Amino acid sequence: QDSRCGLTGAGYRGILCSLPGEKKEFLQNGPDLQDFVSGDLSDKSRWAEYKGNLKREKGERLHLPPWLKTKIPMGKNYNKLKNTLRSLNLHTVCEEARCPNIGECWGGGEYATATATIMLMGDTCTRGCRFCSVKTARSPPPLDPQEPHNTARAVAQWGLDYVVLTSVDRDDLPDGGAEHFAKTVLHLKERNPKILVECLTPDFRGDLKAVEKVALSGLDVYAHNVETVPALQRKVRDPRANFEQSIRVLKHAKEVQPGVISKTSLMLGLGETDEQIYATMKLLREADVDCLTLGQYMQPTKRHLKVEEYITPEKFKYWEKVGNDLGFHYTASGPLVRSSYKAGEFFLKNLVEKRKTKAI
Amino acid sequence: MYTKKKRVFAHVLPLANIRVSEYIVLVRNPEHCCQGSSLLQTGHSAKRPQLWMCRKGWTPLIFANLSYSSKDQVTIHFINRDGERLTTTAKEGESLLEVVVNHNLAIDGFGACEGTLACSTCHLIFDKDAFQKLDAISDEELDMLDLAYGLTDTSRLGCQVCVKKWMDGLTVRVPMDVSDMRKQLEVGKQSKQ
Repeated sequence: QDSRCGLTGAGYRGILCSLPGEKKEFLQNGPDLQDFVSGDLSDKSRWAEYKGNLKREKGERLHLPPWLKTKIPMGKNYNKLKNTLRSLNLHTVCEEARCPNIGECWGGGEYATATATIMLMGDTCTRGCRFCSVKTARSPPPLDPQEPHNTARAVAQWGLDYVVLTSVDRDDLPDGGAEHFAKTVLHLKERNPKILVECLTPDFRGDLKAVEKVALSGLDVYAHNVETVPALQRKVRDPRANFEQSIRVLKHAKEVQPGVISKTSLMLGLGETDEQIYATMKLLREADVDCLTLGQYMQPTKRHLKVEEYITPEKFKYWEKVGNDLGFHYTASGPLVRSSYKAGEFFLKNLVEKRKTKAI
Repeated sequence: MYTKKKRVFAHVLPLANIRVSEYIVLVRNPEHCCQGSSLLQTGHSAKRPQLWMCRKGWTPLIFANLSYSSKDQVTIHFINRDGERLTTTAKEGESLLEVVVNHNLAIDGFGACEGTLACSTCHLIFDKDAFQKLDAISDEELDMLDLAYGLTDTSRLGCQVCVKKWMDGLTVRVPMDVSDMRKQLEVGKQSKQ
């Protein structure tokens, strides 16, 4: 009947009948429309039944397991944040690096506490790491001198209790952008002395003076991500970054500012073994790193590394236990956990609990 | 359906700014068909061949698949890190990075900085003869190439090498990662045991 698409009813049925036997069976026994509509497939209790492949074979591309599927971001809070950012010419790593939690964090969750991680020094990085989709250029545009002021204004407007500042790598600047970073923290603290500030910094090419500048600016948490185990550093990160350099940054921040809390993050699923992960966690604890976050690596675009393995939520819970046993103040571990995911909540919760135990 | 279309001679095409689908292009002889279609690379492609009777001495250009013309498609072979050979055809002027990305070749972690000379993930190894025919290397490219793993005397960054006609049938190698080298060593050790 429908001559436009060239398929009559009989013709369409004919196509179905020509499927091989196993496919027909699969179609009959697999999920139907009712399953999708009822929301059962996203049901947490069914995650253990997921039968898809989790470890990548040669030439294969893994499908996204159900525990990594997220809702499309929308809503009042989300739009409000977006508009504030655009009007003040600010960037967030949430947008630039395509974080899957953007809807949840910006939307505010059940307690309406929106979090955003502001990315200073522009949206263009001077390094090209193979896991990150932030724009790269050899000479990015110069720094905006109004940025520290605008950031403080925006944060004050949102009335946040905990803010995370991060930045791109700026190897083209002599101090790597440390002065700019420190100024932003100062402005923030000036406007609101009670706010808790976390800085997720680059490695400044190992320049410890720059690390000192940021560490002494008055922040509460000094974060720098080692990203992966030492064996995979060369493959995953830009060759200008390495494990020893990153550890030195974290150690030095603690040396110059003993009261600061240091934090780092690892991405799992890039082909590392359990022994390597455990060894790395031990190294980090020996370097007196206080907080650790573990998340699942997800391939942002086709130009980036493929996911080697999808770690199950149960395995992440195991690593959380390992981290707590090793002595980290807190270990945030989960497939969608990122360095600044619910950073405020974790930090404050821990702080409050520790204060309670001290009081007792 | 019959539509009366105007006829145009191929040699006037570069001068005229015309919409391809509205005309039937007449060429002197069949060899000019490919040339004619390369002139008409405006992205239009007539899906059905159109044959029209015309004056003796002039052959109508058959609009079979305009976007394909054997003259400016260059075949390139990529030997992936695991030894697999990936073959594709590229247009002249495309950089090798663009070839890999646009043709969805299975080389992962390739071109992280999108061709802005800020990384070395598009590192490729050429054979000696091909390497010597490439354009001169810039200082910026050298800076980034120095950081690449497994650097050789015939290495270049794929984002700076553009496809040229002489590269038809060229084979380039994607160098192994440090982690691939380690895996190989482990497999070697295990097989010895």
